[in-house]
Amino acid sequence: MTTDARRRPGIERALAAVAIVGGVMAVIAGSPTRPTRGSVDVTELARIVEHEEDHVTAVELAAWIRDGKPRLHVLDIRADSEFDDFHIPGARRVPLAGIARMPLDSAATYVLYSEGGTHAAQGWFLLRARGVKNVFFLRGGLYEWLEQVMSPRVASTTPQAQRDSIRALALWFGGRMTVVDSASTTATPSVLDGELSAPHKPDAREAIRKIRRRAC
Amino acid sequence: MSGGAPFYEFGRFGEGTSLIIALLLGIAFGWFLEQGGMGNARKLSGQFYFTDLSVLKLMFSAILTAMLGLFWLSWAGLLDLSRVYVPETFIAPQLVGGLVFGVGFATGGLCPGTSCVAAATGRKDGLALIAGMLAGVFAFGEAFPAIGHFADSTARGAWTLPQALGLSYGTVVGITVAVALGAFAGAEWLERRAERPARPMNVVA
Repeated sequence: MTTDARRRPGIERALAAVAIVGGVMAVIAGSPTRPTRGSVDVTELARIVEHEEDHVTAVELAAWIRDGKPRLHVLDIRADSEFDDFHIPGARRVPLAGIARMPLDSAATYVLYSEGGTHAAQGWFLLRARGVKNVFFLRGGLYEWLEQVMSPRVASTTPQAQRDSIRALALWFGGRMTVVDSASTTATPSVLDGELSAPHKPDAREAIRKIRRRAC
Repeated sequence: MSGGAPFYEFGRFGEGTSLIIALLLGIAFGWFLEQGGMGNARKLSGQFYFTDLSVLKLMFSAILTAMLGLFWLSWAGLLDLSRVYVPETFIAPQLVGGLVFGVGFATGGLCPGTSCVAAATGRKDGLALIAGMLAGVFAFGEAFPAIGHFADSTARGAWTLPQALGLSYGTVVGITVAVALGAFAGAEWLERRAERPARPMNVVA
């Protein structure tokens, strides 16, 4: 092999040159992952945001999960420890940086959530820029999930059918609905109007404590 | 990036197809090892006496080809490096294992892959080495309850050079290319020096 190779120094030199070029350019490139570039139709996005077609409510998401909506990906973009404490069933933890790189299924539906809505909305933008059409985020974040799905409070004046469906959804996810005096609350308490109802699940309670400690 | 390489990881083909591909790759691997003279224990041993460094050159050629290929395919977005399997590191047991391996390689003149190539061409030393290797694997399995604690110690997980050195992937690639080309030049120099008192290169049967 030695003598054989020496008879063809041209090939050896050429291969060495290729290796040198590849190696030097690798040093310049630095990372084997190129920055992912995406593009957005700004007018289109503005229209979607304006028409509030960019988010789902916690109840809608809960129904999707319960009904097994095909190709639904629920992405949790909080920290690992927070994810381990509590997450929406079936959710997958993906950091925001991961959203920029992860392999995507353009025909799937993605739902992003964080504690509140801000980070998820930013993730929504990243996925739109990467060309995914069916992306939504949970506007009220995990707050909304805990309040509307896990521990919903409904007024005693709420129609029976509506109460039953809210109760069934809460039960499906291991939560519990509370009926409150109609005078003290609105029929569907808003995430934004303050006090969170106390959930009875210890892990959910812990998750809430963490959420409360960190101003969202 | 979606649905690129590694094809198996992205479900481009199933278990059966991947086995067929593995078989074809294995045949090609054995074929080219034998073509490169890697089934010959004397040629391989030459490495340890600095008379024939074909193994070193072959290994570095393979490493450079695979490394540059992976780097640039990933850069081009055709391959997801995070889905490429990285064997786990266990520092102490791998140091000991490496020493045992080195002794076996220098004594027997063949490594696991090349002993299979040697056996396939009917070389008796290759067959003996395969028998010894299987016996060793069996002995390790039987002794595992006693040495398992050590075998699992100093685990570092999938530990890569960029992580260990705190350098970018590209820098590690560049350094590896420089080291390999330096090793090529050094190997050629050693071989030229060893060739002066001309050594016969007989094929051992």
